[in-house]
This record gives sequence, C-alpha cells and structure tokens, in this order.
Amino acid sequence: MTGTPDHDARRPPGAAPSPRRVDRVGLIVAVGLAALSAVLFWDAARIPSTGGYAGIGPADTPRLIGLGLALLAAWAAWDAFKAPAEPAPAQDLPPILWIVGGLGLQLLLFRSAGFSIAGGILFACTAAAFGRRKLWITLPIGIVFALAVFAVFAMLLELSLPAGPLERLVFGV
Amino acid sequence: MGAFEQLLNGFAVAADPMILFYSLIGVTLGTAVGVLPGIGPALTVALLLPVTYGLDPAGSLIMFAGIYYGGMYGGSTTSILLNTPGESASIVTALEGNKMARAGRGGPALATAAIGSFVAGLIATLLLAFLAPSVVKLALVFGPREYFALMVLAFVTVSAAFGDSARKGLTSLFLGLALALVGIDGLTGQARLSFGVPQLLDGIEVTTLAVAMFAIGEALFVAGQRHRDDSGVLAIKGSIWMTGADWARSWKAWLRGTFIGFPIGAMPAGGADIASFLSYAAERRATKHPEEFGHGAIEGVAGPEAANNAAAAGTLVPLLTLGLPTTATAAIMLAGFQQFGLQPGPLLFVTNASLVWGLIAALLIANVMLVVLNLPLIGLWVRLLTIPTPWLYAGILVFATMGTMGANPSAVELGQLLVFGVMGYLLRLWSYPIAPVVVGMILGPMAEQQLRRALAIAQGDPLTLVQSPVAAVLLGLALLALVVPMILRARGQGEVLAHLAGNED
Amino acid sequence: MKTIVLAALAAGALAAHAQAADYTILAPANPGGGWDQTARTMQEVLQAEGISDSVQVQNVPGAGGTVGLAQFASQAAGDPNQLIVGGYVMVGAILTNQSPVSLADITPIARLTGEYEAIVVPASSEIQTIEQLVEQLKAEPGSVSWAGGSAGGTDHIAVGLLAKAAGVDPTLINYVAFSGGGEALAAILGSQVTAGISSLGEFREQAEAGTLRILAVSSPERIEGVDAPTLQEAGYDMVVENWRMVAAAPGITEEQKAAIEADIEALVTSEGWQQALADRGWTDTYLAGEEFEAQLQEEIATTETVLRDIGLVQ
Repeated sequence: MTGTPDHDARRPPGAAPSPRRVDRVGLIVAVGLAALSAVLFWDAARIPSTGGYAGIGPADTPRLIGLGLALLAAWAAWDAFKAPAEPAPAQDLPPILWIVGGLGLQLLLFRSAGFSIAGGILFACTAAAFGRRKLWITLPIGIVFALAVFAVFAMLLELSLPAGPLERLVFGV
Repeated sequence: MGAFEQLLNGFAVAADPMILFYSLIGVTLGTAVGVLPGIGPALTVALLLPVTYGLDPAGSLIMFAGIYYGGMYGGSTTSILLNTPGESASIVTALEGNKMARAGRGGPALATAAIGSFVAGLIATLLLAFLAPSVVKLALVFGPREYFALMVLAFVTVSAAFGDSARKGLTSLFLGLALALVGIDGLTGQARLSFGVPQLLDGIEVTTLAVAMFAIGEALFVAGQRHRDDSGVLAIKGSIWMTGADWARSWKAWLRGTFIGFPIGAMPAGGADIASFLSYAAERRATKHPEEFGHGAIEGVAGPEAANNAAAAGTLVPLLTLGLPTTATAAIMLAGFQQFGLQPGPLLFVTNASLVWGLIAALLIANVMLVVLNLPLIGLWVRLLTIPTPWLYAGILVFATMGTMGANPSAVELGQLLVFGVMGYLLRLWSYPIAPVVVGMILGPMAEQQLRRALAIAQGDPLTLVQSPVAAVLLGLALLALVVPMILRARGQGEVLAHLAGNED
Repeated sequence: MKTIVLAALAAGALAAHAQAADYTILAPANPGGGWDQTARTMQEVLQAEGISDSVQVQNVPGAGGTVGLAQFASQAAGDPNQLIVGGYVMVGAILTNQSPVSLADITPIARLTGEYEAIVVPASSEIQTIEQLVEQLKAEPGSVSWAGGSAGGTDHIAVGLLAKAAGVDPTLINYVAFSGGGEALAAILGSQVTAGISSLGEFREQAEAGTLRILAVSSPERIEGVDAPTLQEAGYDMVVENWRMVAAAPGITEEQKAAIEADIEALVTSEGWQQALADRGWTDTYLAGEEFEAQLQEEIATTETVLRDIGLVQ
C-alpha cells in the first residue's frame, strides 16, 4: 500500500520508526474475521444436510464462505506483521458515543415514547455530536421536527409509525 | 406501423394540459419524498400511491408515472450529495457522485445523473414499447444455470473494480456474503445464522444494510473527524452546470449504461442493482481517466445512473408481459396497475392496448417533466449541503430511522441499523470499501440459489452448468476477465490494469 | 420546505383519517402482498359500508407471518378492537419455523377468501395429462423437477400430498423452490423445469394465451373456465386451498367474539366486498364458526404430517 510507517497514527509520539511494528488494527480485523468464520462453521454444523438432488445443501455455502473468511483472516494477520500499517484518521470518541447513544435511546424508547420523542432525542444527540450541546434547545427542536415528520408520513401518507403519548395528545390517534 | 400509431394515440390522451399538470405534481411529490435520505424509490411509490386514488384513470396513471420517476431521481440526488443511498441501485452512483460533490462538483454530478436518467429512460421506454414481446422471449432463455453464469461474471468484473487493495475488497465482499446467509435458506427452508430470533428468519434487509452502512456510518465518521476538517459545509466550486469535457465524457457512458441496464432489467431475475454494478465495472474499464475513479469520475455517475433507469424501464417488460414484479418498486407498481384495471400478462398488449400505450406515453411525458423540473432545481438541491452540519446530520438520521421503522417497526430492525452503522463506521475508518459488502449481500444469495436450482434440475450433474451455450459464453467471459489481467500484469504491461485491480500487497 | 409542499398538496386528505380507530388490523406481511391486500381491502370496505368508523392497518412482516402472530398474541390479548389477517401459509410456517406461538393462541373468526393450486407444464412439453406426469414421477421421481414457491409453502405441500396420494415416497420429490410463484413462472415458461405448481391465478392468463397447459387443479370441484380435471377426479384424494382468514385477539369474551363475527359477516355479505373480490380476482370461500374451526384443526394435522413426510419438520 501507499502508507508508510512514518504516518502510523497509533504510534506514541517520539517512538523511533520500526519496520517490525505490528499493525494493531490489522490484528483486530484478523481476529474478527476468524471469529466470524468460526461462527459460520459452528452454525453450519447444526444444519441437517439436505442437499437433495442438487448435492449442495444449505450447510455447504456457509462452510465455503467460512473458509474464505478464514483465509482472509490469515492474510490480514500476515499483512499486520509484514506490511507497513496504514494511517487511520485520528478520531474523537465523544461524538461517536453521542450518536451511538442517540440511536440506542431511540431503540429503547420508540415503542413506549412514540416516534416523535424518540426521534427528537436522536436528533438532539446527533446535533450534540456535531457540537450543539445545548440540549434544552436542540431537544424541543428535534421533537417538533419529528412531530412534523410524523404528521406528514403517518397522518397524511399513512405510513405506520409508532405513536406515543405526544402523538396521541396532538393527533388523537 | 401499428405500434407507432398506438403510441401517438397514447400521447393524444396524455397531452391534455390538466394531464401535464398531474404529471408535474407527480414528479414534484416523487422528487420531494424520494430526496429524503434513507427513503428509496420503493417506499416513495408505496407512500404516494394513495394520493393518485382520487383521480380519473388517465390522471392517476400519469401522476403515478411521475411519482415513479421522481422517486428514483430524488433517491440519486441524496446519494450523490449526502452519500446516503436509500436503495441498492443508487450505491454505485454514490461512489463517484459523492466524491464529485465533495470536490465541489455536485452540480455536474446531479446534471449528468438527471440527463443520463432522461436519455436512458427515453431509449429504454421506447425499447419497452416496441420490443417487449420479443425481449421477454429472450429473457426466458435464462434459467438457473444461465443466471448462475451471469452472477459469476458479475462477481469477477465487479470485485476487480472496487477498492485499492485486493485483500480489503475481498474482505468486504466476504462480509457481505456472510451477512447474506442470515435467514431461511430459500431452497430447503432451513434457518441459517438466525440464532432463534424470529425477526432474523427473513434475513437482513438490503435497504437496512445500505442505509446503516452509508447514512449512519457516514454520520459517525464525519462526527468523529470534526476537529480535523471543520469546514463542514461543502463549497460549490466552479459552475453548477456541466462543462464541455463533462458532456464529452458523459454521453457514451449514458448510452453504454442504457444498453447494459435495459436487458438486465428485463430479465425475470435481473434487477437495477446488478445493472448499475456492471455498468460501473464497464465504465472503469472503458475510461480514459482511470486515475479519477474513486476520486469522482463523472463516467462513474453517468453510466450507472443511466443503467439504473434503463433497468427500471426494463423491469416493466416482465411486469407487463408476464405479470412478474422483479423488484420491490415493481411489486408496488403492480398493485398500482391493478387499481387501473390493468391485469398484466401475455394478453395485456392485446386486451388492454389503449391503457398500455397510455402508460408508456405517461412514462415518456413524466421522463421529460423530470428533466424540466429538476435541472433548474439542481441549484436548490446543491444548497442542501449548505445546511449547517449538526442540523443536516440530525435530520438525516431521523429520516433514515423513519424509513426503517416505517417498513418494519421492530426493535430488531433498529438494532441492525445501529450494529451495521457502527460496522460501516469501522470499515470507513480502517479504509475498507463499503460497496462490496452490499454487492456480496445481493449477488451471493442469487448465485447460491441459482447454482443449487440448476444442479437440482440436472439431478446433481455439474456439467449442466456449461451445457447451455449462453451459460458457457458467460462463464468463458468471466474466465477471460479473470485471466487476461493476470497475464498482462505478468508481462509487465499492466500498469493501468494494476491500478484497476488494486495493489496486491 | 418539502414538508410544506406535501402538506399543502394533500392537506385535504388529513380530515378523513382523524377519527378514532374502531379496528386495528395487523397484516403480518410487507405492504403489497396477499395478506396486506386482504387487510387493506377489509379496511376500505368496513369503512365504506359504515360497519366501522375507522380502521387502521399495521404491517409486521416476517417469517411467514409468525413474527406478526407472536406480537399479536402477546400485545393484543383481551383487546376486542384488534384483528389479524393470516392464512394457510402461516400453518406451515408455524411448523417449519418452530414458532412458539401457534393459531391456538389467537381466536380464529372466519375464512374469507381462497385460491386453488394448479399444476402446469409448458405448452411445448410432451406431457399432456396429469396421469402422464404422475407416471413419470413414479418411474423416476428425480427426473420430474417441480418449480413452485418457497420451501415448505402451499406449493411444496401440494406436491408432497400428490406424491403420497400416488404412492411415491415424498422425500424423493425434486422440488425446486423459487422466491415466488412469479419467478417460478419464468422457469416454467422457459422449459427449465418439468412442471410447475402455484396458485391458479398465477397461470390463468398464460394458459389462456396458450403458452402453458394446466394439467389439474386442487379444488374439490372443476373450476369454471378452466379446462382441466381436479386431482380428485384423476384419482388422487387431495384438496389444497391457499386460504386467507381473519382472527381476533386471545382472551376476549364470548360476547366480544360474537360482535366481531357479526361485523365480519356484515362485511362479507356487503356489495362492496363482493365487488372488491371481483376486482381482485379472489374467490369468496367464507366459512365461520365451528365449521371453520373444525376445518382448521384438520388442515393443521394434515399439514404437519406432510411436512414431516417431506422432511421439512423433524
């Protein structure tokens, strides 16, 4: 690849460049692929082999793909030791957690609180991830926005979106 | 010429000013809903279909055609500008289109998509009108073994065209193949990788995967690198209109896309997504500017977008002549046709000739209306990108989750959105390409099922796969596509090809 | 801005949908499919005939209807305003997916519509009659490839029943599952397979156009306008009907059940319903009360046996 060891973002500042350094991301990928491959083989083992007239049954494809993943895991591990690591762009963790948290809250709340409140929370969390941390402003904006979306899609176009207390209050559904 | 006269009659029905007005409303509504991120054409058409119920048959038919084209074009707009495709056929458009938008060339990207859609829609609709009965005969030649051979060819050509590194492209592809296994095996009814969760028995929805990987993964990635590049708003550089060079590079791609898209769309197991993949691979091979691919090559927008639209017109061939809906959008269109008393089938062109020609005229008019409406609006759409980033992405995520909830309001579905969103983020972060995941997810099951069907029909004899001339030719082409670049590279003449296939290390 | 355009254009429609819901019908499938269309047709007619002020349709797709069924059984319990649409496919799906919730966990009200199966060959095929097809099946089961809908679905069950009735081991049938009757149709028309099986409606147009030959239908009596014997006539003792039904929530009182039954009876006897059936080409096979329940029990038992015989249920 085009990346050189000098650009490895994960190396502590000041450390001497060393061609022997292991690419940690590459190793994570290798382990992940190997695990996925193992899941595929494990699952395939439970499937009764009913290939019928085709001779290829439902368990054979997972095995083939599992084999491919295992080879790719080995290749990734080989590269992690051999090839210079690619620089991963430096990332801030908090914004990621804001968005993941927003999606998680929406997932937990959409049934009980309804589309607008859950969507408003996601809206506010996403805005917070991009630096608008004043939740007392963004949350009401988000809820009103989601309520407007609900009005158009659920009321006018009859898409079935989960209704909660707010929707019942405003639209009487 | 009988067909031609009938088409003129169709136009006579459709040329009423009121009818043109309905067409304009249909295109406007379709574009307005289709442009929302994470909402693909199938959902757009399904949502807006009831709006047409109140009108007389002619008006409702033409408004419906307008919604259909508007929804498809609206979908490409968001794919290009925001990198959030709402369906699998727009993914390839997003690949180069979004790179162009980021380089400030969103205007030309949208223009080449709009004109490409128009050209393809025009040619393909005319092909549909005059060739439908004979095209369907050809399409029926394709049985399981021919489809399997076509899938092999698609795998070989498409996987060479994605990404910079063969290992990374293959890794993404295999992730997609593994995800595609989830759910009930179509041929034996056995559950695979569903871990006792009933919602997983139907497998992973391609739309959910695409929306999660693109829209959510993108939002996470942009949020994470906020401090490195805080410009946020993408500036529009240069003209929003296409330059002479853009035109010169686009027109051949439009035509190639059309002639790849229409026949593939016309096959009962084809589909607009496969057409757009193949068109992208073809453009990447045909281009004189290979270095621009992956960084915003206009052919990479023009070709797949034309192919996507031509395939959409192509899907009307099996739909009208066999009553076979081959895509989600087509299935909803079938419901729409039934409302007009159109009973698709082999006798349709005989028993319902005036309605069919009316529909074809309506499609042609809607196609024109789309360009008329959307070319002036390109300036407005590009301004979408001037919405401050926090509000833009907050809105994208609300719409993306709404699309998923509206299709299937289940916690498992929203959970998938979250998991695949994070996965899309990590793939981006570690520079693994995203598109092959979706490609594997679409092609994998088709290849597997068609192979097993072919073998079952032949009672397990693998020779059946090469005993049909069509299948043998397709497999031969796949072999050539695989071997020729290797030989060229081995001879040291393959600088361009080496770039295409990526660095092997 | 888009919101405003949309709202302005369709504002008139809002008033019509703002009343309280009398019934919520759960369609355990994606929008557009047979169950969804049944639910939406019920919605239209119930409202148009004034049987109910307001009806809402909710889609919960997944796993042959068993996802929606499980949700309905737990969330609607005791609520007399909730209905679910289902059908024969659900009977098989409950068994093959080992669904923890079955039709015994809801309150079946009535069978509404049904479609019979047809066995076809391409017009160019040498096989002229159902007897010839069964002869070939007996001689070499693997050489008869059947194209039909998903594995374990109505089409697959019907082939299994035919094999049994003809004295052929059902595990030996060479059934090639396609993702729907439509995709199977393309394979049959292209002569990729020996024979095809699916709902009669999928084949009717093609048969009239002369591209397919209908060998037999799975109805108890001959079907008007179809020039083919029933399987019973041909000597195979079987009837297969892909029916659709409506059911109510578990745990409702007898009075509540009777009220729903009265509403459904008013629905099926209305002119609007008969017109809707004619428009969509559905056959009215209304059956309610104890007769329906008895028939349901019998079908569940036969289906379970044949799915075991084919090897889809262990």
